[in-house]
Amino acid sequence: MTRYAMVIDLDRCQGCRACVEACKVENNTPQGSLWMHVFRLEEGTYPSTTMSFLPRPCQHCDNAPCVKVCPVGARYKREDGLVLTDFDRCIGCRYCELACPYGVNVFNWSDPAEHQYLDWDDPDLPDEVRGSVPPWHNPDHDVVHGDEQRRTSGGGHAKGVVEKCTFCVQRLERGELPACATTCPVNAIIFGDTDDPGDSVNAEIARGDAFDLLPEAGTKPRVHYVGGKHPTRSAREIERVEVEV
Amino acid sequence: MRTVTRRRFVQGTAAVGGAAATSKFLFDGFDTVARADEVVDAAMAQLTEDVVPTTCWVGKQDCGMLARRVNGRVVKFEGHPANPLNYGTLCPKGQAQIGAVYDPNRVKTPLVRTNAKGEPGTWRSASWDEALELVAAEVNETRARNPKLVLWQKGRSKAKSFYDTAFVKAIGSSKLGHGAYCSDTGYRALEYTIGLHGVLHPDFRYTKYLLSWGWNITNAGGNKFCWLTWPRHLLAARERGMKIVHIDPRLRSAGPFADRWLAIKPGTDLAFALALCHELIANGHIDEEYLTTYTNAPYLVEDDGMFHRGDGDEPLVLDAATNSFVPASQAEAPTLRASTSHNGVAVKTAFEVFAEHVEQYTPEWAAEVCGIATSEIRRVAREYGEEAVIGSTIMVDGVEVPYRPVSIMAYHMVQQELGFQAMRAMLIVSMLVGAVGAAGGQFSDKTWKIDGKYTSLDEVEIGDGPYDFTLNKSKFYPINSGHPGLVAKVMADPERYDVEELPEVAILHMVNPLGSFADQDAFISTYEKFRFVAWIGPWISETADYFADVVLPSATIEKYEGPMSATDLYVDAKSMRLPPMEPLFESRGEIDIYLDLAAAIGVLEGEDGYIAQVNKALELEGEFALPLRGRPEVRDIFDRWARAQGIEEGLAFFEEHGVWVKGPVKPTKFYGYATDPVFGGVVHRLYGESLARYQKEMKARGVDDLYAVDYTALPMWREPTMEQSPGDYDLYLISYKLIEHKQARTSYIPLLNEISPGQRLDINPATARARGITDGAEVWVESHNAVTGETRRVKTVAAYTEGMRPDTVGMPHHFGLWTHPASRDRGPTPNALYFTGEGYTVNTADQSFHVKVRAYPEGGESA
Repeated sequence: MTRYAMVIDLDRCQGCRACVEACKVENNTPQGSLWMHVFRLEEGTYPSTTMSFLPRPCQHCDNAPCVKVCPVGARYKREDGLVLTDFDRCIGCRYCELACPYGVNVFNWSDPAEHQYLDWDDPDLPDEVRGSVPPWHNPDHDVVHGDEQRRTSGGGHAKGVVEKCTFCVQRLERGELPACATTCPVNAIIFGDTDDPGDSVNAEIARGDAFDLLPEAGTKPRVHYVGGKHPTRSAREIERVEVEV
Repeated sequence: MRTVTRRRFVQGTAAVGGAAATSKFLFDGFDTVARADEVVDAAMAQLTEDVVPTTCWVGKQDCGMLARRVNGRVVKFEGHPANPLNYGTLCPKGQAQIGAVYDPNRVKTPLVRTNAKGEPGTWRSASWDEALELVAAEVNETRARNPKLVLWQKGRSKAKSFYDTAFVKAIGSSKLGHGAYCSDTGYRALEYTIGLHGVLHPDFRYTKYLLSWGWNITNAGGNKFCWLTWPRHLLAARERGMKIVHIDPRLRSAGPFADRWLAIKPGTDLAFALALCHELIANGHIDEEYLTTYTNAPYLVEDDGMFHRGDGDEPLVLDAATNSFVPASQAEAPTLRASTSHNGVAVKTAFEVFAEHVEQYTPEWAAEVCGIATSEIRRVAREYGEEAVIGSTIMVDGVEVPYRPVSIMAYHMVQQELGFQAMRAMLIVSMLVGAVGAAGGQFSDKTWKIDGKYTSLDEVEIGDGPYDFTLNKSKFYPINSGHPGLVAKVMADPERYDVEELPEVAILHMVNPLGSFADQDAFISTYEKFRFVAWIGPWISETADYFADVVLPSATIEKYEGPMSATDLYVDAKSMRLPPMEPLFESRGEIDIYLDLAAAIGVLEGEDGYIAQVNKALELEGEFALPLRGRPEVRDIFDRWARAQGIEEGLAFFEEHGVWVKGPVKPTKFYGYATDPVFGGVVHRLYGESLARYQKEMKARGVDDLYAVDYTALPMWREPTMEQSPGDYDLYLISYKLIEHKQARTSYIPLLNEISPGQRLDINPATARARGITDGAEVWVESHNAVTGETRRVKTVAAYTEGMRPDTVGMPHHFGLWTHPASRDRGPTPNALYFTGEGYTVNTADQSFHVKVRAYPEGGESA
């Protein structure tokens, strides 16, 4: 069977946030909702300063705390490794947000359709575009996914639900890689099947310098990092993104 | 195009709705999610999906893209897998541009101004016919007297600029570009010195030691390409073991990719390069064969700085083979180092003059000037010289070429007062070890093609005035890139520059001086002097807002444009921009606009008309030439071009495949040593005799020393003018690009503004604390003009970073815009702090982006 995993090569990441934008367009997430975020960090003092970048999607943990605390089974783990949210089921209690040590859950505080960047209600837009909010609305998110037949893909569905990275479940079903991995200009995001011995993702995970984020949390992430080091407590975030919700 | 239906998503969905009705009890007024039957409806609907190949519209590179369309609506752009520029990937701008395409804030119809100029515009809609007639009437009124008084100005031509240069030629107007703010200083230095149109980049395939000199690696800097081709090459080279020495006051530009960081003081790059030359000569890291065979280093120079020509026209060299003085082109073995006399005239070889000249530029001296440790300068020079392995060769695709795996990447950093000579000196570093055009060595353009400016810049005939308003061939700026800010200065005070005729009508195409160019004040005070301004662009820019009389709305990506090079240096390819949809609103593609404008002006047809110019520019001849009568369809223009290239299917080939990959670039086209003739047959100018001649002619015409001082045969250090500002202006301001933005057009994309929210002042925490400036707090930045005494200030917020020299502060060069709701209130642009004109302009009429400033907290005005 298939078990998905992601490896992020910090020796390659240039911190450009193309992955952030690809995710937003593909998944139609509303303003302020960044499922993928790329931290830009610096450590040390001048002139012995060092810098690093750290992309952080949902870690799709094998021992996912968000799944355990969800009182309604809206957050669930699939056999293929994906941690998904059935937004039809989500009651917006935000326990998952508290339980997750990585901060990847985003709660829709208000009507997402009113937070799609601009007022798209424009009579001069062509007929095939009008009524789509945002105009690049992806119809893949209108349908159910997987054997479980739940609506789990995309964002910006409803006020009062929690949404997060899905590893682009809708793209995987199309035989495509997640949007972030596809767009990465420097191929820093490697995505594949750990059950397929020939998949290059396994060689990456086997690298001696591979590490997971917050291993002490015992979450067993399916997102691994190579080519860098775990950020220390002395790392400072620069070029912070203060999103407007 | 491939068409698939979405039936695979039509699966049993009846069970889905079960949970939907129950869940949302925590909130009042929550949204109702779509009901199960709607889900089924959506899934059952016959969605027609297809993919249209095109190219990115928003960035610099024109990366290949595939537009995914559902029922004719574009829902996503993805990278084109076969395009060598990006191989299936896209940058953040490429992804986010979909937000610009559908933007309801685009200009929807042609507009005519209804209020006075010099303030935010009010407009009425007009038909295309009315708007075009208005522009044509004003253009023709001026053209009848002097077509050069019509000024066509563009920010950045996308794709091949044949269609707008054809327009400029057809109406005979003047033209200005963006280069004086970009990197034109470097272009002029390289055209003059080695005859290539480019600045400096490495042969990443083989280079092992890279001087990343002011290269904004992680933010799309760099010669020719930006993001994302260079980073891909850089990572491949790095994984092969290449080392990066990063020479920049700011670490963030290289981020984690700097193996060593030399935080150089702004404006001192010339001094650093001269010290490297000093060390290379002292260490004997000199490629004598290259210097004697392919450069003017052996030419004999007289005491007055001019070449020794004897009785003939050609410079003489001392031929070691015959121990005689012979014309350079006839020598068998020119002597590199000699100090002698010929017919009673004292002469030295140019190399000897150079070696003596750089004796003063020791590492100790440069350490003081540049703020870099002497040991670091020595180390870089030694490593660079040793890694060059002078004398070695390598086989590349069956061709033996000299191997010098040392290189420099430098581009926008040349925009500093001494930039022209700094770039000459950096190139000479490379020339000393024979790395120009060698495998792993120094490159500057995609192919080895000698630019016409190699000759013309050597033969400038400085006139006595009156001068044209660009000051071309003037005693002020004899080598002249065409600087819009200087034109504004000239318009403000024409007598000062001995100019009599000023431009009257401006056609501004995707150019936003008020936002993107330095010295906003110069434009605000002079652009209203144009009798008439037409603006072509998808949005009302800030410049259009203040000064346009008529606005012509252009399309974004929904148009034909091309052909464009898609080479990544090593693979040759061409691509086209194809419309994934009809132009939105009433916008038109630019080529359509120029065709219509040419027709309205009356220059579309005929032997020298617009169509004829298009034929010439695209080399459409014989059966492929466009008929000179009647308005062609844009698609037909490109169809003819494609067929003229031998592509039988014509444009349909691109509509099917998106990119035409021709194959690997041959080493005999790529490496200067391997071309026939070698280096395109030109002699590389270590010694710039004509520069010294220009200085004499300028001085003879009585210009201020500030204009003439940098016209010297060899690069010569002097202190930049900004150092004469009073001591309390104790910080250097630099500005730089962010990866999320490209000039003004990305500022209108809210998706990008979200992840790059606004202006800031990057400042070293120690520097900030000493001034009472706290992280994130408001701070004033005040600049000072050392020549005029003028000061300017803006307010922004402090952003602490340990990646900045303590005497330097930085601001991204974006922001400060107001016409679009997504770009408002994001802080000022540093362009408001820079000055254009004497002391802040390069001797080649290019902009300097260095100025001394002071910084103080809000409320600390008296500081």
